[in-house]
Amino acid sequence: MQAQSTVITGEFGREIMLQMADTPNDESRWVRQAQAASSGAFEKLYRAHVDKVFGLCLRMTCNRSEAEDCTQEAFIQAWNQLSKFRGDSSFSTWMHRVAVNTVLGRMRKFRREQDRIRAVSDVAPTAESIGDDGALRDLEQAINELPSGARHVFVLHAVYGYSHGETGTMLGIAEGTSKAQLNRARRLLAQQLKLECA
Amino acid sequence: MNENDDNRPDDELMRRAAKLATAVKPERDLWPEIEQAINKPARPQRSTWNSGWAQAAAVVLLVSGSSGITYLAVSDGGNRTVPDAGPAQPLVSQLVSGSFGSQYNLGPDYQDARRKLATKLDDELENLAPETRDAVVANLESIRAAIEEINNALAEDPGNVLLQELLLETYRNELSLMNKVDGITRTAMRRGDI
Repeated sequence: MQAQSTVITGEFGREIMLQMADTPNDESRWVRQAQAASSGAFEKLYRAHVDKVFGLCLRMTCNRSEAEDCTQEAFIQAWNQLSKFRGDSSFSTWMHRVAVNTVLGRMRKFRREQDRIRAVSDVAPTAESIGDDGALRDLEQAINELPSGARHVFVLHAVYGYSHGETGTMLGIAEGTSKAQLNRARRLLAQQLKLECA
Repeated sequence: MNENDDNRPDDELMRRAAKLATAVKPERDLWPEIEQAINKPARPQRSTWNSGWAQAAAVVLLVSGSSGITYLAVSDGGNRTVPDAGPAQPLVSQLVSGSFGSQYNLGPDYQDARRKLATKLDDELENLAPETRDAVVANLESIRAAIEEINNALAEDPGNVLLQELLLETYRNELSLMNKVDGITRTAMRRGDI
């Protein structure tokens, strides 16, 4: 059975392809098959989730090349840890956790966060915005300028919709810290967007 | 997923953020490299029974077997005099050094006994029948080739106890063969000799 694909053309002319399993049962079957070492089934999981995982990595790292590396590493990690996936959460959520861990691990390992080059040509556009009038592009740019702690919380909570509890678990911080970082992000973003508007 | 306790309904910022795309298609297909990584065979554990010293072990087994045959030949023909036999090939010069890998040396007593036996062996060989001499020489060559091979393997894996045992056994075989030819009985080597 083929996975269903939805193609959306974004603001920058690039296509966003959302590929989804036909039914949740398909995904469960792919997970079981992948857990039994079927790389074919794992490829189907990859195709279904790569865009969201890459999007998350891109928003967290603000660097396309680094996001590609993170995405690859995250899927390799996922393959190696598939036996630990018990289905308590959705595969998507589990995969996001793996991706966040991968990004944070790479940041810690290479200390690229402080040294990364904020080359606009490389960073922008970080993501396509649907039906954007320019305001979303400003917001994306402002998010990229946030300190990493605030940015990670804002991306996971405000963009990806995770609760503070989930965000805290993913980032290895307390729920209260997540809330504090969100407030910090909101304050900084509001200032920046206001300044830019002015 | 998201408890909106800190998001006011009129919060323009959060409404905008929620509109941002969560899925972005990578510009290139990342799968081939992932596939390559996950299909890469697990790095083979270094086997203590690697081909190098499996070969050496095979040589030792071969030598042990043929030593018995040589012994029979020596026992049978050792007293025969063979006037037309050519000069025996001097074996002392071919004696491989009594090394034991790169980290150990054979004990001085053993080295001394080995050297003396090898010197005597040259004289003894002259008194053997040609076919017996050939058998002894061939066996000694096999044993010494085995010693060299095992020594090489030990140089790569100095801590390998099995290789050490194998080398010790091979030296024992060499000594035993020389003893048989020479008729000298010596006590068996022990690991403490090393």
